[in-house]
Formats: sequence, C-alpha cells, structure tokens
Amino acid sequence: MILHSQARFAPLVFLAAVLAVAPLLLEGTYYTHLATSVLIYSIAAIGLNIIAGYAGQLSLAQAAFMAIGAYSAAFASKSLDGVPLWLRGGLQPWLGMGVGIILAALAGGVLAIPVLRVRGPYLAMMTLAFAWIVWKILLEWVSVTGGDLGISSIPKAQFGSIELDERGYYFLALALFVAVLFFQNRLISSQFGLVIRAVKYGELAVASAGIDVRRVKFATFVISSAVAGLAGALFAHQQSYINPDSFQVFDSVFILLAVLLGGAGTMLGPVVGTTVLVVLPEMLHEFAKYRLIVYGGILLFALYFLPRGLVGEMLQRAIGRRERGPGKPYVALKSETTQNVFEVRGGSLYIEHVSRSFGKLLALNDVSLRVERGTIHAVIGPNGAGKTTLINVIAGVYPSDGGRVVLDGAQMMSKSLDGAARLGIIRTFQNVKTLGDLSVIEHVLIGFAGKEGLRLGRSLFGSRRRGNEWLRQWDKSRELLSSLGIPHHLQEAPANDLSQGHRRLIEIARAIAAGPRVLLLDEPAAGLVADEVRNMASLLRKLREGGMTIVLVEHNMEFVRSVADIIAVLDHGEVVACGLPKDIVTDERVIASYLGPSDATS
Amino acid sequence: MYFFLQVAVSGIAAGAIYGLVAVGYSLTFSTTRTFNFALGMWVMLGGMLTYCLNVQMGLHSIIVLPAVTALLFALGLLAERISVYPFLRAGNDLWVVSTLAVGFLLIDFAEIIWGRGQNSVPPYFGDEPVLLWSISIRPQQLLTIATVCGIYFGLEYFYRRTLSGKAVRAVSHDREVSSLMGINARRIEALSYATASALAGLAGFLIVPITGAEPHLGTGIGFKAFAVATIAGLTAPRGILLFGLLYGAFEGLVSGYFYPGMRDIIGFTLMIVALYLRPQGLFGQREEERA
Repeated sequence: MILHSQARFAPLVFLAAVLAVAPLLLEGTYYTHLATSVLIYSIAAIGLNIIAGYAGQLSLAQAAFMAIGAYSAAFASKSLDGVPLWLRGGLQPWLGMGVGIILAALAGGVLAIPVLRVRGPYLAMMTLAFAWIVWKILLEWVSVTGGDLGISSIPKAQFGSIELDERGYYFLALALFVAVLFFQNRLISSQFGLVIRAVKYGELAVASAGIDVRRVKFATFVISSAVAGLAGALFAHQQSYINPDSFQVFDSVFILLAVLLGGAGTMLGPVVGTTVLVVLPEMLHEFAKYRLIVYGGILLFALYFLPRGLVGEMLQRAIGRRERGPGKPYVALKSETTQNVFEVRGGSLYIEHVSRSFGKLLALNDVSLRVERGTIHAVIGPNGAGKTTLINVIAGVYPSDGGRVVLDGAQMMSKSLDGAARLGIIRTFQNVKTLGDLSVIEHVLIGFAGKEGLRLGRSLFGSRRRGNEWLRQWDKSRELLSSLGIPHHLQEAPANDLSQGHRRLIEIARAIAAGPRVLLLDEPAAGLVADEVRNMASLLRKLREGGMTIVLVEHNMEFVRSVADIIAVLDHGEVVACGLPKDIVTDERVIASYLGPSDATS
Repeated sequence: MYFFLQVAVSGIAAGAIYGLVAVGYSLTFSTTRTFNFALGMWVMLGGMLTYCLNVQMGLHSIIVLPAVTALLFALGLLAERISVYPFLRAGNDLWVVSTLAVGFLLIDFAEIIWGRGQNSVPPYFGDEPVLLWSISIRPQQLLTIATVCGIYFGLEYFYRRTLSGKAVRAVSHDREVSSLMGINARRIEALSYATASALAGLAGFLIVPITGAEPHLGTGIGFKAFAVATIAGLTAPRGILLFGLLYGAFEGLVSGYFYPGMRDIIGFTLMIVALYLRPQGLFGQREEERA
C-alpha cells in the first residue's frame, strides 16, 4: 500500500507529545499506572503486529515471550541485590531488560524452527502449545519460578541512585514505547519490511524472486519475540510482583485481539486496540465476571464489522476519499544508467534425461531439451502432458527422480524455488500470483529485493547512502514498468485492482527485476485478449533481442508460432517432437496427438 | 507390573475422550480445512448440559445422552454459520480467532448460569469397580472405552459403506469437483461441524462423572485432543482414535511414574516435535503441493 510515507510521522510525533504531557496534568498514581500498562501492552502488541499483522502469521504465544522477558528481568534485577549501590544503580533496569530481550529472542528463535515449517492453523496451534508449555513450566518449576506464588519484591527501576516513582517509570515506558513504534515504522517501510508484507500474501511469489522466505519469517519471528521480551521486562519492574496468572494462554489471545481490533498490519492499530482493551475494563463494573463475554463479543464484532480493525477502516476511508493518491511523495533521483532494461545476459539451459513420477504416474519420462542462450523455447502439449511439472522441476519446486538440469555448463544443485531463482532461473505462474494489497511497483521491488539480496541490518540501520539505493530501486522499478507498458498512474495502485493482462505484465516485470538468466513462463498468454497477446509476443521478442533465454509453456499456438525459435511437444511425459515451428506444425505425430488436422491447414 | 497396567488402563479411558474430541477436529478439517479452535469448550458445554439435565432436572442418563448430543449438534450448526462460514468464504485464517471467541463466550455463560464451582455428576452405572484380571476399572471408564470402540466401527461403516460417507470423502478430496458432481458440499461442511460438536458433547457427557462439571473443564482436553489429532494426522480419523488411546496411556504412565505436572509439558512438546518432523501426521497421507 501507499501508506508508508514520511507524512505518517506527523501523527506519531503529536501522539508522543500528548502522552508526554498527560501525566503532568493528572493527580494520583492510579491513572499513571494504568497509562503505563497501556504502553507496556502496546509494546507487546506492536511486536505481535509485526509477525501477525504484517507477515500474516497468527501467533498465539506473545504472552509467553512476555513471561520469558518478565521472569528473566526479575531474576537479573534481584541478583543485583548483593552488588554495591553505585554499580547496581547504573545497571538496575537495563541489565534485566537486556537479558529479557535476549532470552525472549532466543526462545523465539528456537520455537521458530518448527513453527515456520507449518502454516495457518497449525502455526496458531503450535504457538498456543508453546504458550501452554511456558505457563506450565512457570507453575511447576517451583524451585526456580516460585510456582503459583511467582516472584515478589522485584526492585524498582533506578536511574543512577534515583529510584523511579510511578510517574518516572511512566516516562521510561513512554520513551521505550516511542522507540519501538519508530522501530516498527522503520522496519516496515524498509526493503525487508516490504518482503515481510509480501510473505503474508504469497510465499511462492516471494520465493520465486529468489528470496528465502523461511529466513525472512525466522527473522520476523525473532524480532517479534524480542519486542515481547522487552514488554515483559517492563511489566516485571512495573508490578514488582509477577506470577504465572499474568501469562496464560488467554493473555496471548488478548494481545492478538488488541492487534486485530486496532488493525492488523497498520502502524498505530496495535496501540489503539490495546488502549481500548486495557482501559475498557476499568470503566465497567463487575468486569471480572463478564471478562470473556466482553472480549469474545468485541472480537466477533471486530471480525464482522471492522475486518481491517479500527485504524485500518479509517485509513481505508481516507484512501477512498483521495482515490488512492497521491501516496508516497516521490523524488526522482538522477538515473546514471540509461541502459535498456531489456539488456540482460541470458544463459543456456540443458535438461538431460529428467524423469519425475508422482506415485505410479510417470509425469516426466526421460525428457531432454537444449535451450540455447538468447532463444525462446516453447513447450506445448495436451493437458496432463507434464508441461507444468517440467517447469516445476527446472525451477526447483520438485526434485527430479533422475537426470539433471545444467545451467551455463554447471549442474543445478538447488532443491528449492528460491535457490533456483538465485542461480538465475526465474519463473512465473499459470495462475498469476499478485500479492494482496501490495501496489504494482512494490511487486517489482520484490523482484529487485531477490536480486540484490536481503540485508536486515542494512534495512534497519543503514546509512543515508543505502537509503538512496532503496530509492534507486524505486526508480528502476518505475522505468521497468513503463517500458513494459504500465503507465505511471497505475503503478501506485494495488495490483489486485488491475486487469488480467496487466497482472501478467507485473509478474513478468517482477521476474525481470529478479535478474534472470533463464525466464520460465507458464502460460503467459492465458486469459489475455487478442491485443494483449500480440503485445506479450512483442515483449518476449524484445527480451530475446536483449539476450534473454526464455522457456515458455503455452496452449495458444498462434502466439507460440509468433515467438518461438524451437518448439518441443510433450505428451504423456515424453518429448514426442522437437524442432523449428514450421516443422512442428506439419509433423504428423504432433497433429495426431495435439494439434488436430484443422490447425495444420490453417 | 500391576501398577503399570492399572495406570495404563485409566490412562486409556482418558485417552478415549481425547480421541473422541480429536476425531471432531479431523471431521471438519477434512471437509473444510478449518476446525473449531475452541472445541474443548464444547466438551465443557456437553458436560454442563449433562449436569443440568441429569442432576438439576433429574432426567435419566438414557434420555440425557441423546438430548445432549442433539443439542450440541444443533448449536454446532449455529456456531459454524456464525463463526466459520463467513471466514471460510473470505478465504482467510480468522476463523481461528472467531471460534476461540465463541469458546470464550461459552465459558462465561457457563460461569454465569452454573457458577464457577465443581458440580458433581453421579456415575451412570454406579461406582463399584469391575475387576478384570485383577485390574480394577470403573464402570464409567468401561463405558467410555466401549463408546469409542463403537464410534470407531461406526466411522468405518460410514466412510466405506454409506453414500453420505462417500460424499464426505469426495468433498475432502476435492470440493469443487464434488460440487459439480451434484454433492451439496456446503451441507457437508455444516454437518461436519455439527457432528464435531456432537462428538465433543458426547465426550463431555462421558467425562463429567469422573471430573465433575465446571466451566474450565474442557480447555485442556480440547488442546490435548488437538495434539492427538495432529500427531496422528488430521486426515486420518481412525488413526486418531487409536492414537488417542495410546496418548492417554502415555499420559497415565507419565503421571503415575514421573510427576503429573510434567504431563502437559511433555505432551505439547511432543506435538510440536511431531508437527515439525511429520507435518502430515503418523497416519496421514502427504498431500502433494501444487504450484
């Protein structure tokens, strides 16, 4: 979406200012304590928002990571009791926080390994099981955690020799809250953040650009847990007494509820959601009795009537009014390179005796093809002939049972889609995979991210020069899209709003951006109208002239004949014919098995 | 040895309950690729209704059993319409949260109606232990194990011999194609949810004489049943029932020999490891991913 502009900092600064002044106007510690709670749970919710909101992985373990942070901070701070005051004062809240963050991040990393192998409901259940395990350990490991009774008399946070009172602690929490909020914004508006958002909508499409999706999810999961660890450490010092009751499975659901209510995948959503959910009970009498009804009711209401959450719906309205413009203030950099976007160094692809079977079905039987550099090689054949399987084997989606694929003289060893893509084999999909509400240009940026490689550290803490590199990628993406015939005014629109023809082009643009040596196109002309088919044909010819090697699976014979240098005919998993287009269309076996007599005479 | 068998047998009786609930997850998962995340709360509802009808209203357990399952069946239909169907059609994962929300509502309603405390339900066939090869088994445990065996053969018959069973298998395999063949896939989806709720209710009916009826009775059962279902494989209902018994025996042994507090920790850790090593489950068939 187009919401990641500098202008979004303005409400943030305003919010921070209001929050900074508010407690000075309030009497007594009750409201200050409540406000601190809002800030602490907001931090946890922001952490969850990164993994659940932006990356779309519904995790139900956030309270467990908070628990790890809280208990570690409590241990660390209490262990400082024997240390002389002057030294302890300097370490007091910080040591605990550091330990809490690190241990929560470690736990997140360990849990991420099994969790990231599964998806959707399995992931939710696995994280829930983890939350249950942590809670049980807190209860049962009495000698360390104190069991039911928890840990009491956790020292107050100190600044030097000054012990922070309720108000002082509020300011500490506020400072950390603002830092976390800025961290979220910086992460999400970076290249890495773009990939995180893309993963939510389609892992295959992201992997096909050469990005290791599992690594991205791993990093996101660890970040999210680390933030929860910070929230937990703050919680421990605020309460000065913690026990397992605060970190039950329900509390994880509560944090997820806050994210969903406020708006998953929006910057301020988790803060708004948390504020509502923490403050609401204070306003209701006998709340404890109806707690689950109130939360369950709010949750159902939000899911039905505010599917984007409070903040998400507001943004949606705002965008509707402005008709999706003007979006990111775009500053064009001077492009030093005016090189033709189509100029690439294609590779040669030799497929040697490749076989693949599914159970008893032999989908590919000893298939060999030689695709020379800078040529277009079409593979045709009836449905079920094994065309898509062939693409999948070349692109690393399935391993082959026998034979090998040789790219530029080197055998392809990669066993995954993203690995093959990094070697330069980039594919598109028969069913166009556009990514949710990502804009057209962001799709192309995903391609560039795959080519240039992802650097989390650089994304987060990179210098200004690096920032310029990111802007340069925007430039290149624009140029690429324009030369593919997608006008500027469509480039900021969500890709899902565009026509099938345009979406095919977007997919090809993403593939080109990912830096292919061989482009695998799975039915690029399917679903296009006649004009668009001609347009596609001329695009492919242009790519070939630039040096690209293309392997093409297609049913539209007219289209194939207009672009292909070589046509291979696949039937029942075997190459029945391979040669120049004019020879293929008159080959009797091909006519019999695929084209039918009428096509040959046309 | 005697202790071993004794512990294992009472574990198996508990495992039968897990199996029963776990089959419910499997039923809806195979037809819709979704399930009720809060199915355990429906076990609790079944138990509470049993208490209400059997103890508060004094009805005989022979009447209570069909009444509770029928009620849960109907409520299950309703809950599917409210908390699953909209998200199923939208194609997102938010049914995870909406079914949990309904579960929360059930817990609080139960608390308001029946209070927070333990309500005891007398065993349906007395409390005189039966001696089998010198192992004493409570009639209630025998009843539970017998019911699960009945369900096992019932499922076998349903899937293999009846037209509706074949329709369910067809929908699990490919919803779109089965719709084209004239199967009302929507009805099968709704009915699978209703059946899952009814089975959960049956589990509640069977367990309350042992545990007593209270609002948080089902939470742990529900999640452990899910562990059973995933370790065995969500698409293999009969494997799930068998594995449920095994898991129950395992739990019994851990509690008996080791330390009851370790039970859940080991069980859930096993689930995470099992999902990692074998995502399709011990008895499940791997689905080939199609690009």
